[in-house]
Amino acid sequence: MTNVEFVIAAYGVILGGIALYTAFLARRIRIAQEASHRLDGDVDEAR
Amino acid sequence: MSDLRRGLTVAVAIARKDAISELRGRQAAGSTLFFAAIVLLLFGFALGPDSQRLAEAAPGLLWLAIVFGGLLTMARLHQLEADDGAFEQLALYPVDRRAIYAGKALAGAAAMLVLGGLLLPVVAILYGIPIGAAWLPLLAVVVLGAIGFAAIGTAYAGLTVRMRAREVMLPLLMLPIVAPLLLAAVKATVATLGGDPLGELGSWLQLLVAFDVIMLVVGAGTYGFLLED
Amino acid sequence: MKTRMLGFVALIAVVGAAINGLFVVPADLNQGDAQRVMYVHVASAWLAYASFGVTALAGLAYLVRRDLRLDALALAGAEVGVMFTAFAIWGGMMWGKPVWGVYWQWEDPRLTTTALLLALYVGYLLLRRLTDDPARRAARAAVVGLIAAVDIPIVHFSVIWWRGLHQGPTIGDPSKILNPSAPLQFVLALLAMLGAFTLVWVYLLIRRYQLARLEWHLEDDARRGRVEAARRGAVGAVGVEEPAG
Repeated sequence: MTNVEFVIAAYGVILGGIALYTAFLARRIRIAQEASHRLDGDVDEAR
Repeated sequence: MSDLRRGLTVAVAIARKDAISELRGRQAAGSTLFFAAIVLLLFGFALGPDSQRLAEAAPGLLWLAIVFGGLLTMARLHQLEADDGAFEQLALYPVDRRAIYAGKALAGAAAMLVLGGLLLPVVAILYGIPIGAAWLPLLAVVVLGAIGFAAIGTAYAGLTVRMRAREVMLPLLMLPIVAPLLLAAVKATVATLGGDPLGELGSWLQLLVAFDVIMLVVGAGTYGFLLED
Repeated sequence: MKTRMLGFVALIAVVGAAINGLFVVPADLNQGDAQRVMYVHVASAWLAYASFGVTALAGLAYLVRRDLRLDALALAGAEVGVMFTAFAIWGGMMWGKPVWGVYWQWEDPRLTTTALLLALYVGYLLLRRLTDDPARRAARAAVVGLIAAVDIPIVHFSVIWWRGLHQGPTIGDPSKILNPSAPLQFVLALLAMLGAFTLVWVYLLIRRYQLARLEWHLEDDARRGRVEAARRGAVGAVGVEEPAG
């Protein structure tokens, strides 16, 4: 039955989307943490 | 003078000020009306020339024109204060925010009512809708729609008028919110024009009233937070 | 970290629920395999609404308490909510095409309501993006989030009545799955997916909240850096002018 294509499309996009968003958040958190550490590093250097 | 009395005085004063500037700046209000009429004309070109189809679509097209004209109207009513920096000054005065909101919303509803009322004959002529005896319930629908649109429009216009990209932000925020208002107003209009065979008019009017009340309450409650900007 | 553990548990739960929904549970007699889409569609919709509840309540709480952490929570709710709303619409379309024959059905109240939900909260996110001052942004967003949340019940009733005040549910009604007479296996599969998605939802909310707090601190540091630089610049200028004056 060609219904299978729709089931795959549904699960694929939804579960894949969740996975992508999770990875996206992880990456942005990491970038923000690195930037934050750099700033703290600058402050320490200034002292 | 009691708080309520003072609040009402403020509200009326603000509404009157807006009404006067609307009448004085006749070009702006008139231009908006003309814009809405042109929109109705363009709908004719888009959906015509079959007059049957246009007649069936007329209530929807009327309310779309009111909504588009309404966006311009609500923005205009807040533009003057924004340009003069009056919002910041208003925020300093110990006046109940809800009174300010009430005044602006009253002015907005009046402007919308004029817009909607004047578009009725345009629709009647362009789409061949005999209004006849239905004009009174039809006007009631326009009143309810005007109040609802102004209720939410006042809050959102106050919010967006000092923003970047304000021309797109007001429609972007308003249009999804007024979707139920649009839906109900159109259905109610159809019912008044068609003699209401399904007895739906009451339900749609109830929905309109509910929308109006809810948006007025929420608008009044939150307007103060927008002024403190 | 506890969050990481939650993430792993959520992952296992989702994989399990998906395997169950795709392979273990039988297909529906009428709808065939398309029935399986319902599990992810309904779960997504449920969490979309939950997310916007979080946004509205967090926004309201912000207006009362002025704690920017509440605003961060509201933002997390809105972004996660937009994602689940998009999923819900996608799932609805993937169910609709095999069952109704069309991707979109104006007479289905839940599809149209969900589409408006998406429009409302994309507007919310854009509003946030166009406002720079954190306090102003939080206040504006709170108002918009509140109004949007209040609008949803109105939309719900209006589109149901729109379909026809006298018309009952049609044959291809997605809410049939919630019917008490639905087969137990289907109901359990739905509940399993719902539970798994809820775990994912909590995890994503926490992570998005963490990100929001981190980015706010960076923003705040940058702003204070600029203020410091301006202050230093002003002092320097006074120093230069004094000998002349």
